[in-house]
Amino acid sequence: MRYQPVIGLEIHAELLTDSKVFCACQNEFGGSENTRVCPRCSGLPGTLPLLNMGAVKLAAKAGFATDCTINNYSAFDRKNYFYPDLPKAYQITQFEHPICTDGHITVKGSKDIRINRIHIEEDAGKLVHDDYEGISMADYNRCGVPLIEIVTEPDFRSIEEVQDFVEQIALRLKYAEVCDARMEQGSMRVDVNISIMPVGSTEFGTRAELKNLNSLKAIGRAIEYEINRQAEILDNGGSVVQETRRYNDNHGDTKALRSKEEAHDYRYFPEPDIPPVLLSDEDITEIKNSMPEMPQTRFKRYTEQYGLPEDDANLIISDKNFSDFYDEAVKINPDYKQISNLMLVELNRNLNESEKTISDVTFSPADLAELVKMSTDGVVSKNAAKDILKIMFDNGGKPMNIAKGHGFIMDNDASGLETIVDKIISENADSVESYKNGNQKIFGFLMGQVVRLAGKGANPKLAKELLTEKLK
Amino acid sequence: MSLKELRKMLDKKEIGAIELTQHYLDNIDKKDGALNSYITVCHESALNSAKNAQEMIDSNNSDSFTGIPISVKDNICTLGVKTTCASRMLEDFIPPYNATVMEKLNKSGIVMLGKTNMDEFAMGGSSQTSYFGGVKNPYDTSRVTGGSSGGAAASIAADLCAAALGSDTGGSVRQPASFCGVTGLKPTYGAVSRWGLIAFASSLDQIGVLAKSAEDTGFILNGICGYDKNDATSSKNAKGEYLSLIGSDISKLKIGVPKEFFADGLNNEVKSAVLSAVEYYKKLGCEIMDVSLPSLEYAVSAYYLISSAEAASNLSRFDGIKYGFRSGLGEDFNDLIKNSRREGFGGEVKRRIMLGNYALCSGYYDAYYKNATRIRTQIRAEYASIFEKCDVILTPTAPTTAYKIGEQENDPVKMYLADIYTVTVNIAGLPAISTTCGYDKNDMPIGMSLIGRAFDEKTIIAVCDRFEHDFTRKEAEI
Repeated sequence: MRYQPVIGLEIHAELLTDSKVFCACQNEFGGSENTRVCPRCSGLPGTLPLLNMGAVKLAAKAGFATDCTINNYSAFDRKNYFYPDLPKAYQITQFEHPICTDGHITVKGSKDIRINRIHIEEDAGKLVHDDYEGISMADYNRCGVPLIEIVTEPDFRSIEEVQDFVEQIALRLKYAEVCDARMEQGSMRVDVNISIMPVGSTEFGTRAELKNLNSLKAIGRAIEYEINRQAEILDNGGSVVQETRRYNDNHGDTKALRSKEEAHDYRYFPEPDIPPVLLSDEDITEIKNSMPEMPQTRFKRYTEQYGLPEDDANLIISDKNFSDFYDEAVKINPDYKQISNLMLVELNRNLNESEKTISDVTFSPADLAELVKMSTDGVVSKNAAKDILKIMFDNGGKPMNIAKGHGFIMDNDASGLETIVDKIISENADSVESYKNGNQKIFGFLMGQVVRLAGKGANPKLAKELLTEKLK
Repeated sequence: MSLKELRKMLDKKEIGAIELTQHYLDNIDKKDGALNSYITVCHESALNSAKNAQEMIDSNNSDSFTGIPISVKDNICTLGVKTTCASRMLEDFIPPYNATVMEKLNKSGIVMLGKTNMDEFAMGGSSQTSYFGGVKNPYDTSRVTGGSSGGAAASIAADLCAAALGSDTGGSVRQPASFCGVTGLKPTYGAVSRWGLIAFASSLDQIGVLAKSAEDTGFILNGICGYDKNDATSSKNAKGEYLSLIGSDISKLKIGVPKEFFADGLNNEVKSAVLSAVEYYKKLGCEIMDVSLPSLEYAVSAYYLISSAEAASNLSRFDGIKYGFRSGLGEDFNDLIKNSRREGFGGEVKRRIMLGNYALCSGYYDAYYKNATRIRTQIRAEYASIFEKCDVILTPTAPTTAYKIGEQENDPVKMYLADIYTVTVNIAGLPAISTTCGYDKNDMPIGMSLIGRAFDEKTIIAVCDRFEHDFTRKEAEI
């Protein structure tokens, strides 16, 4: 029997606030164990949580980035369970009244995936197990790091839709400066709820929840494995058990963590230490106005206003800093296509070869804009522009200074070039003979000789014209 | 002697701060063996504080509390001084910070004599559930002090301090004040910061004051109230000036007497003493109004569901992992958590944790916790409607006077029902003050309570003060 997968996602994203969500401890990745803890986030008796309004604001921004409604009223609840990495033995989260609801993202160009809710919660710490010593140690640095959880409806029907969604969410959160969305570092974590049903059916099957997926590829492989696992069970007349499964990227398989029966009863109830969060319409508008342009809006601008091909536009927006650089450059020189080309081909080549990112580039968007203008104005040749870019990339410097210093300025004086062309023709009688006998290929060789002699500043167009003329 | 008078004597140097502190320390050494009202006595640091206080006084820099010796309930965090909650779980816990109330009082030069005994984690009405042994009533050491601030109440009644900080979640300041013949004030929810108060039930807990008079409770409240950014539930409406109405004409006030508080279950001697207090106000010219709080019959159930649910969650952090008692038994961390809690908590605490978790379980949540919150809303509405007509409500504080140690503690339901007259005040977040209005045939004190509008402590303090002027208390003979 053929099956249709039905998939929903729960995505946790760490918010880029300066401090933790309920205390003043620094919110940062890594560092020595238990160096960013205080009485509040380590759950000392008598302490109380203090809500970081910066986290509320970022959560609302995540809502705007995903077309959610931002609620005037939201409130916190306690999720109770014992685990040594959770110092209060409850997690403060939003259960009944999340801050954002009813959003959506379009995947694969046309399909809407509904977002049920986005809520704010605190992260737990980490346990470090020392098998050699046979002990476990708790690191509370991550305790109280602000998170949002984005919960979708079970609207996905393929791996590609899931991957597109995750990519878009990551990009939008980065653009909104809500989260740096580094899956491999765990600053964005995706849990997948998946069931399968016979093709044509409308009744969902029993789902499994997959955890520990830390890359797009892992998501794809885990879903694929899980579809096959569940299909095999159904094909053999069995039934899928509702459970949480952990994906192992080394083995490419999933293993049961706990079943529904073993699942915790979290005994949620309203957090009495934090009054409800009340956002006025004005507050919400203010947050909305602070939203930077989202990638999907940029994509529209690039394709519709700037006339870039969709693939190029997608490449540019895929890195916000790259896109910002492009935007700065076209502000100065609105040659959208040429700047896009130079960045996507030449600049990217340099970046890839040196394993750097756009943030490492030392020249300014204005320098790049000027370089493109020099090329289109015929001040330097297109090939020279590539060389100049490489020099700017490696050593810095202004394009005009480099062009002058390295002799890249095109010499548009025909008389000087004519002398050189004559010289080459007279020195290469055999080749000229061969060309005149129909060997077109030899033209390139002669042209090369002219350029070599004329230097980097030679105007290739003019040289070509002269050589063609003289060879007649 | 009132705190105001004490202040004058200290400032006029008719008494020295060190001398005063030494007097109380001597009293504690002499009498507290029989009472067990203190868990920790801070002989050395109290004398140091007194020395500093005297320096402040000598340099004319004295403040309201400079040199005033107080006791502090052992669930209020005190920097560097053990704060045990009368539990094995926190037997050796030394907080690395002060509660906000202690910060405020210390800044003013107060002298902390020590930390007072209580029911474990403030759960109880007898002060007999303490890991460090029960507290005995200064009026009759075979009887309970009430609770949970029993140590605080006894420390006032036996003159082991000038004033005491307690906490009140369902009557824990007022009921022991009633049993020990002193005055106890439970402020409006949000009037005093809870930062540093080890939580029992966060939506009900308030730090309160036990003292020799209504005026003294207001004197201390002036110094500890106010908004605190460390406690998001603290309010900007608490502005102090709690003594401002003392001595003013109260004869125009309307006093509500809710009939449900005088129904079956109220001891006759208590009833008649409280009704004579009503008579007293009537004679002053106050209008006495029959009012009704129909939801009183559900109040104890609602209170025990809400407070136990919150307690179950609040006390989850005591897991033996980070601080406090840790069991040596077991193989993995699940064992560690289970055994630490099994051995670290006493029976009453475990009972409430069980009850609270049960009320929050999915499947029971709507029937228990959710329904309790509905009753909470209803009780608030009923109080609001009474306060449309009345300025103050007068009730008994407890159905009985202090009973014999061992008489009731083994019947939890009976114990819980004894909280009936105090819990609605916490559920509605209102202020209330309990004072002595008579003595029973065994010479045990009888308490009455005055309940006020939110943040209107100054009215109940003034009304209570008026009564205290015309009522002569019997001293405890300890």
